[in-house]
Amino acid sequence: MNAPTPAAPILYAEGIGKAFVSGRVRTQVLDGLSLGIGPGELTLISGPSGCGKSTLLAILSGLQRVDSGRVFALGSELGLLDGHALERFRLRHTGFVFQGFNLFPALSALEQVELPLHYLGLPREQARARAAQSLDEVGLAHRMRLRPAELSGGEKQRVAIARALAKQPELLFADEPTSALDAANGQTVIDILHRIARSHGTTVLCVSHDPRLIGHADRVLAMEDGRILSDRRAAPPAATIEGTPP
Amino acid sequence: MVALARKTLVYEWRRFLPAILAVGFAGLLQLLQAALVLGIFGSASVYITGSAADLWVGYPGTQSVNLGRPIDPNVEMRLLMDPAVARVEPFIWLDADWRGQGETGGVSVFVSGIDPRADGLMFAHALPPALRARLNEPDAVIVDRADIDKLGVGVGGTAAINGRRVRVVGVSSGLRALGGVNVVSSLDTARRLDSDPTDGDRPTYLVARLRDPAQAQAVARRLRGGGAFGPYEVWTADSFARRSVMYWMFDTGAGAGVLFLAGIVFLVGAVITSQTLVAAVAGSVREYATLNALGVGVAALRWVVLEQAFWVGALGLLGATVLGAGLLLLARSQDVPVVLNATATIACVVLAMGLAAVSGLAAMRSLRRADPATLLR
Repeated sequence: MNAPTPAAPILYAEGIGKAFVSGRVRTQVLDGLSLGIGPGELTLISGPSGCGKSTLLAILSGLQRVDSGRVFALGSELGLLDGHALERFRLRHTGFVFQGFNLFPALSALEQVELPLHYLGLPREQARARAAQSLDEVGLAHRMRLRPAELSGGEKQRVAIARALAKQPELLFADEPTSALDAANGQTVIDILHRIARSHGTTVLCVSHDPRLIGHADRVLAMEDGRILSDRRAAPPAATIEGTPP
Repeated sequence: MVALARKTLVYEWRRFLPAILAVGFAGLLQLLQAALVLGIFGSASVYITGSAADLWVGYPGTQSVNLGRPIDPNVEMRLLMDPAVARVEPFIWLDADWRGQGETGGVSVFVSGIDPRADGLMFAHALPPALRARLNEPDAVIVDRADIDKLGVGVGGTAAINGRRVRVVGVSSGLRALGGVNVVSSLDTARRLDSDPTDGDRPTYLVARLRDPAQAQAVARRLRGGGAFGPYEVWTADSFARRSVMYWMFDTGAGAGVLFLAGIVFLVGAVITSQTLVAAVAGSVREYATLNALGVGVAALRWVVLEQAFWVGALGLLGATVLGAGLLLLARSQDVPVVLNATATIACVVLAMGLAAVSGLAAMRSLRRADPATLLR
């Protein structure tokens, strides 16, 4: 198996294709797309709605399977994992932040973050400590006893980020994380995502059409009609490894 | 572990309330129905449950205590030969016609001829010794307090049974019969009242007390063999009482009715409960999908739903128990015959929890919509 070498991208797609069938209409969303994402980078995929960026995110994160091509993440070929193994892969290695915050109304911020950690097998005290630390990192240490109904939209999204972050994933996927937020809260979320990539060395892959994010991304991919139109890098990346597509 | 199922149930209790009520009422309905049926049909075995005998000996194949036929009195010898048997006593049961002084017409009565000794076995629990002693007078009978009006006679009054004069010397409680009126007399009086010449001097049953009641089953088995004294069969008091109640329950169709209603209650309860749980899962489907995206397996999410169903069942049952206990106490205070035994209670609990479990399994299916890929839109 020609798994990527250590210097190569941590997340790697090779000639992937994906189509959706609705009735008799078959829509080819991605067609032979190849892409490599470097470790510790904040990569932004932007483009108009319907360009296939969310599908690409779903495929790279192991939420959806490809029709053709191969996806490698952290050295595993995702297409070879069965449903159970894929769940385990996501549990150990990935975090997600969605546009909607998807928090359980009944749980406090601390419990929301703690919940997935138990499934990771962490003992109770350790899970609680890690959850508290994650909430502290997103600036919610003083609000962690509150339920979603008592939090603002920006705070809820920060809880969602803390929930993803507490697992200490190598890969963090974010889908339109700022589109439901006002300017100030959007900026806060952007700063947090940026900091996660910097300080934790987490690979952050973000799908968004929010122009504010462009300035914070290490790399910006513009997509249209299932293809990557442009691939731009921000000014000198301090400690990133070149992640050029093959 | 964060108790997601329980916390959601508490926080969103309004959402789960219909399911809890459905389980609760299903359980309550079953419980009260069982208690009423057992109470009403339990009086079929009042001769057995009101007495202190451990073994009952009667005609082979007798399905209910009121269907007995005379047996050979010499079987008593056979019983007494067994070292485990401490005492044997005859019991005469006969169907008779009562004519009171008032205008009550004919009343169908069941005459129980018993040994009136102070320590007699028959009706030891229903008749205190002083009352039993009064049966030694010739033609004396005792009836239940609740039947006095029906019989058109007061204490001290006279009436006729099968055309022979009897005198009511006292009343008791706990003697009510199913489908007629119980009249208790001494064995001698009962023999005089028996109009069937073929009965001769034979008892309908022989009842026995054992030295060790715990051995009842083994002794009954041992005594069953041997036909030297003519046909007879031996039952333990418990099994004969159960046999009598079951006979009435199925003879009247009440048993089938109970089972039929249990099915309906189960079905209606399951529909309401499962719909409520399905809606509750559907309301949290995005949160479940997010957990699945984060790697929490579908199996683990199914457990959360099943746990919720379990708590819904437990809370419903708790409500049913409190309400049921109150209603049963009320029924007792109003002389409504209600009896609840462990088997019936466990059956009701199993039914209610089974209902919750089936609903939980149905609700699990809606977890299929918790596909995390749908969150990326």
